[in-house]
Amino acid sequence: MNEASPTTRYNQPIPHMHGRWSGGLRMGWLAPFLLATAVLPSLLSATVFGDAARQLAHKIASVTGPGAISLEIANRSSLDDKSVSDIRGALEAQLRTEGVRIAQPDEAQRSVEITLSESLREYVWSAQIMVGADERKVVLISTPRAPSASPASAMPLVLRKSFLFTQEQPILDAALVEMSGGPRLLVLDAGKVAAYHQQAGRWEQESALAITHSRTFPRDLRGRLLLRRDHLFDVHLPGTICRSSVTAPLTLACNDSDDPWPLTADEGAVRASFAPARNFFTGALSPGIGKVSNAPSFYSAAALPRSGSVLWILAAVDGSLHLLDGTTDQVIRGAKWGSDLAAIGSGCGTGTQLLVSESGDPAQDSLRAFEIADRDPVAFSAPLEFDGPVVALWTEGSGSAAVAIVERPDTGWYEAYRISVVCGS
Amino acid sequence: MRHIAFLLFAAASLLNSAAGATRPHYGGTLRVLLQGAPENLDLPAGAIPTDYWDTARLLAMLADNLIRIDAAGHAQPALALTWQSDPTGKRWQFTIRHGVKFHDGSAASAATIAQTLGDRHADWTVRGSGDSLTIESENPLPSLLAELALPRNAILKRTATGLPVGTGPFRVSEFQPGRLLKLAANEESWAGRPFVDGVEIDLGHSLRDQAITLELGKSDVIEAPPQPAALSGESQRIRTSLPVELMALVFSPNSKAQDTRVRDALALAIDRKPIQAVLLKGAGEPAASILPNWMTGYSAVFPTQANLQRARAVLADSRQPALTLNYDPRDPQAQLIAERIALNAREVGITLQVSLSGPADVSLVRIVLPSPDPATSLREAARVLGLPQPLLHGNAVDDLYTAERTLLDGHAVIPLLHLPVASAVSGRVRNWEPARTGDWNVSDIWLEDWR
Repeated sequence: MNEASPTTRYNQPIPHMHGRWSGGLRMGWLAPFLLATAVLPSLLSATVFGDAARQLAHKIASVTGPGAISLEIANRSSLDDKSVSDIRGALEAQLRTEGVRIAQPDEAQRSVEITLSESLREYVWSAQIMVGADERKVVLISTPRAPSASPASAMPLVLRKSFLFTQEQPILDAALVEMSGGPRLLVLDAGKVAAYHQQAGRWEQESALAITHSRTFPRDLRGRLLLRRDHLFDVHLPGTICRSSVTAPLTLACNDSDDPWPLTADEGAVRASFAPARNFFTGALSPGIGKVSNAPSFYSAAALPRSGSVLWILAAVDGSLHLLDGTTDQVIRGAKWGSDLAAIGSGCGTGTQLLVSESGDPAQDSLRAFEIADRDPVAFSAPLEFDGPVVALWTEGSGSAAVAIVERPDTGWYEAYRISVVCGS
Repeated sequence: MRHIAFLLFAAASLLNSAAGATRPHYGGTLRVLLQGAPENLDLPAGAIPTDYWDTARLLAMLADNLIRIDAAGHAQPALALTWQSDPTGKRWQFTIRHGVKFHDGSAASAATIAQTLGDRHADWTVRGSGDSLTIESENPLPSLLAELALPRNAILKRTATGLPVGTGPFRVSEFQPGRLLKLAANEESWAGRPFVDGVEIDLGHSLRDQAITLELGKSDVIEAPPQPAALSGESQRIRTSLPVELMALVFSPNSKAQDTRVRDALALAIDRKPIQAVLLKGAGEPAASILPNWMTGYSAVFPTQANLQRARAVLADSRQPALTLNYDPRDPQAQLIAERIALNAREVGITLQVSLSGPADVSLVRIVLPSPDPATSLREAARVLGLPQPLLHGNAVDDLYTAERTLLDGHAVIPLLHLPVASAVSGRVRNWEPARTGDWNVSDIWLEDWR
């Protein structure tokens, strides 16, 4: 396209990323939280709706001319009463500046009926102006709908969740990493690993490293982002492995590979083959868990250290749980757990708990911690609720926390949370 | 319809037992029932809504479009990854997804896609080279992306026997015209292999038969009558779309009702609310506009309330000839609605005889509003209803309103209702998230009890 200034229409605009921390200094996050949830939306609405009110008032005045009108406003949109009241106030003020006065119907020269409505894309305000006994004129304005509100704040019990990040594209994994100049958040999705640094309480994108792959990714794509000692991180995707550079500037080299994925962050950890065109591990282990090198196909695995041994829990594709201690394979059926589980070290109880996704309700899901006592799962925490299904759950590199990815059914966006365990609650 | 709704609700209540969350499983065969019984897998130009939805859903399983449009009207990549237009909107350039293959193994190259689209649109010049495809037209194409997303622009080739060969998540494995269609998962689908191994689609089943088979556990996905939003909310197993169809009265060019006063009076006489609340059991929305509010946001300026006094005043003392009203006998609700309209007309002195024989002065029709893009749906509605093509320069709400108002001021059509489409699934179906625009997401469905 050689023409000057072509109109580029390129997929979906990449939405503005918002990030926020919770935990830590309470007042430190409370102030920006209040600013973000209470003050900013009001200011934003005032500005957006103020502009819209000015436009509509101008259009109405161009039909009625100066004088007295009666004004009725009907709300057929999702705006709340306060917003409608604010809009009425703004409209009346703008009309006055146009020389139009609001009067009772019997004193008015014209009557104006305003309807506040909305399509899926925008607010649409219409004004029907009676200009004769049977004649009316219609004027319209539209203004973009505000993006949906950010998710609810954390509600810490025994399990505590800290909101990390949200974006429209499915998040596969996320990791926090300490670097010179402050912490960075790495976010893995199907197309890239994006690195963010904090600026004024927000995550600002610093770089985006594209993931190249020749094989088609499966539906229900899964991916793992593992921090490394000798370089920053590895990315494991079905049929693809990527390795970051050792030094700045950060780069990412990806290759087709069927190499098994590490099941924990430890170097030399048990590794498992991932089916390249599916969403599960095939069950082939290298090295094996003790004598077991062929387990049933599974979605996720967690390692619970015991005195002198490690108990592995596998969430099998057929819905059963397999408890592997290197010698025996005990099968538990009917647990009604989700297929995502992870180990989380707390230092309390036996030291490491099993974190399990529970309901899979499209509107709400929860995580719950369990201990495996005498090979029977025992609930260790109250459920930690989420406003959508947990679609990914991985143990963090440190082993003391996990990252949960939640899909919000109301917005379709994905949210990453850091999950930790508080003892003694 | 009440009985069908009861059957559906009973089945849904029994089957709605929640299971533990799990990732999608691969495998199994999805059993689908449809009303339509197509002899060939092609979208007929004048398809009635039932045939439109059935064929569009089948084609969506077999083929991809360059673009798809989400419910908010935004273009999303499909076979095209990126696109741009020149400032006039007369020349568009697309980058085609690399490495996509048709089910027969041939490459879905830009050149092949260009040939497919060029054959369908004589007024476009379509060229493909490398991974780049250009579409040019003498006239601006501001709604090209929405047009490309319509089912009629699915990128398909045909076998010697006429079977479609696409790039979609499923390929045809067996077709018995009018009876049965079997699809197999496309292992090389660019969007990832579907979760189910195959889909068996039984054709030509009434809504009642479909509801019974679902209740008996012999089907997995069925069509359902339009449901009120409340009923849909009570069960995750019945899903109702946004209103994506228009029911309207259309005057024939030779109608005896040439006097616009009669047409205005009839529009004022029809009490739409009881039709929606009683005859349609609360499904849909009364409408006096062609496009529904979710597309435009301005339907409130088209009042739907009946006004008998004004209707009588419009008619004054003029003597009007008796008019005939026909309807589509394949539409289960049409006859009752037509008779109700005739009753309303009589109250203001218009004689409307409901008849299926002979040429009609007025027809009760139901049409599909096929795109979430309002300009595209308005153009399509005008084409199907035989109205002049609207003059639209963009999607600005003022332009759209003016174009729609102009169409309605022609007195050739009286909008009555905006209707949703509904579907229901069995308890073993997971990840059933049909689009709010009525499309199905068969490739993302997986089956709970298949191991």
